[in-house]
Amino acid sequence: MSQRELVVVGLSHRTAPLALRERLAVPAEEIGADLRGLVATGALDETVVVSTCNRVEVYVAARDARAAAQAARAWLGSRAATTPLEPHLYEHSGGEAVQHAFRVAASLDSMVVGEPQILGQVKDAFGAAEAAGTTGVLLSRCFQRAFAVAKRVRTETGIAAGAVSVSSIACELAAKVFGRLEGRRVLVVGAGEMAEAAARHLRGEGARIVVLNRSRERAEALAREYGGEARTLDQLAAELALADVVVSSTASPGFVITRELMQGVVKARRHRLMLLVDIAVPRDIDPRVGDLENVFLYDVDQLESVSRGATDARRREADAAERIVLEEVAEFETWRRSLALTPTIVALRARFREVVAGELARTAPRLAGLGDEERQHLDRMADAIVNKLLHQPLTELKRSADHDDGARLLDAAQRLFALEVDAAERRPVEEGDPIAASHAVAEGKR
Amino acid sequence: MLVTATFLSASALYALSGAFYLSFAARGAERASRWATGALGVAVVAHIAFLASDYAVGGNLPTADIRQMLATTSLLVAIGYLTALRRYRLAVLGAFITPVTLLLLLGAGFHRDVATVPEPVRSALLPVHIGVNILGVVAFALAFAVALAYVIQERLLRRKQLGGLFQRMPPLDELDSLGLRLVTVGFPLLTVGIVTGAVVASRLGTGEIGLTPSRLTAMLAWVCFGAVLGLRALAGFRGRRAAIGTMLGFACALVVLVGYVLRAEAS
Repeated sequence: MSQRELVVVGLSHRTAPLALRERLAVPAEEIGADLRGLVATGALDETVVVSTCNRVEVYVAARDARAAAQAARAWLGSRAATTPLEPHLYEHSGGEAVQHAFRVAASLDSMVVGEPQILGQVKDAFGAAEAAGTTGVLLSRCFQRAFAVAKRVRTETGIAAGAVSVSSIACELAAKVFGRLEGRRVLVVGAGEMAEAAARHLRGEGARIVVLNRSRERAEALAREYGGEARTLDQLAAELALADVVVSSTASPGFVITRELMQGVVKARRHRLMLLVDIAVPRDIDPRVGDLENVFLYDVDQLESVSRGATDARRREADAAERIVLEEVAEFETWRRSLALTPTIVALRARFREVVAGELARTAPRLAGLGDEERQHLDRMADAIVNKLLHQPLTELKRSADHDDGARLLDAAQRLFALEVDAAERRPVEEGDPIAASHAVAEGKR
Repeated sequence: MLVTATFLSASALYALSGAFYLSFAARGAERASRWATGALGVAVVAHIAFLASDYAVGGNLPTADIRQMLATTSLLVAIGYLTALRRYRLAVLGAFITPVTLLLLLGAGFHRDVATVPEPVRSALLPVHIGVNILGVVAFALAFAVALAYVIQERLLRRKQLGGLFQRMPPLDELDSLGLRLVTVGFPLLTVGIVTGAVVASRLGTGEIGLTPSRLTAMLAWVCFGAVLGLRALAGFRGRRAAIGTMLGFACALVVLVGYVLRAEAS
């Protein structure tokens, strides 16, 4: 009997350069079609794609893990066009895949460990997969647990407290260039989550915020939020000439701020110092802009150098967070193994119910004067007998799921009671304890 | 004896202070920065004692000749820096300023025989010439240290090397505007210095009219600082190029001073 296995294939800031990551990044409007396309290959049952500026990862659940991983690789390869991806890809399966998902959500695999944005991004990725109908019991449970793990890590360790998010690094850099930020003009181009966080940070330091967006409504909404001013994209050059700090995070596939545009801007602003932070993937700002005199450009990868230099205290917090992740992975694995029991438990219960129902049907006509109420009592008694008889065997099966003899015991139960269980034909019951679930199934049949 | 002792103490203390500032710049231990500033404070006291004893023993005024002027300039640079330190977070600049201070003081001690100013040169204009030149060099020495810090900080920021040294440096924009202020103060002083110098030299009547190498270098310094200010006003010229212009200007000013010291030595 085969069970769904979890696999993750992807690349991140640890394995791939920004130039490659930006080519693979999946625009939000395409993600639904891509997810459905992956499931349509038939190689996998469930999938979630996490695409942020620092990673593109395909989480899949399938009975044939190898075929599913192959499908995920093929899909990633198709996005990379001619660049060979293999040297940059990693693949984890089973418990390791779960551990990876938990670490990512808890911001332990982030470029800036402890930064809070990643959790929102993973939630969005999961939400998109749910909307596309490509999640099932395994990935749903995995991601729900990942969110819970992230929350635990945040509340039980000090990792978030010591975290230097990309937005706070941008803020720190601005302070190193300009000193006091009071009254400085900050231009936020686009409306990404990280740009919002950066704007909030800089606003807190007393900077004046100007939000520039393709959509005037969105720009105005954000500007209201920060007490700033709203501008549209056609005012970009004029605003660049006025700004001290620019934080860009649009979803544009090409450069929004080109070298040619900036050459004019530098003259118009009379060579005043300027800090540009490009947190978009693909990048918004032509990297050659960084060569211009008095212009300092940082992209996401370069911000990493600022976040390095973890202190001992921070490492201790990270260790504590890793322990939480391992605990939760063990719990998840117990649950996943117990999933294998579900079809057997359902079948066992059905077999017992079938025998009892048959005997009741045969005996009832011979019991004279049996009213409806008495018949109900009899049914309840039969149920109670079935439950009591099955209680110990089911408890034992569940307990053994955690041990090596679990599969043997499961096989024995199936043979002893001549159960025909084909996991491939059964969709596992949703969430929770399979034994309790089997009770529910049994009751539903009644 | 007292003169030599105070001179050596001041020099040693400047060197010690410089070593502490360097250690602070490299490693970032706050303690090193405190010790450096402490040593610099004591060095200033020793320096004042040196000038006072030199006057008491040898009757040399702090502006008597080029060496006395160098010693006075060095003292004022140190005092100027200590004053700036109270207002700005400039501890790391000590690593650049103390060597300049030490260099100027050592220049003063290059030869202790005082070549007195020739009689024809003495005039009411002379103290003005000496005074503005001293103050000008002080402003440019500080501007040089600020410009050097700017160039280093800018390079670190451009190369994304945001480690310890970068963190200890003052913000770029502050360095830029502080450098500008110092050059703005130094430039008119240098201009007056050059003009009064020309007048004094013409009164000397030694036939040394026209462009001697030292005058040419002084003019070059003037052109450098003038360009830094002029281009900034006209075209917004600032940042690294302005810092390099400032450093070049100060280098020219130093060449002029070295020329004077050597000439005094020869005479």
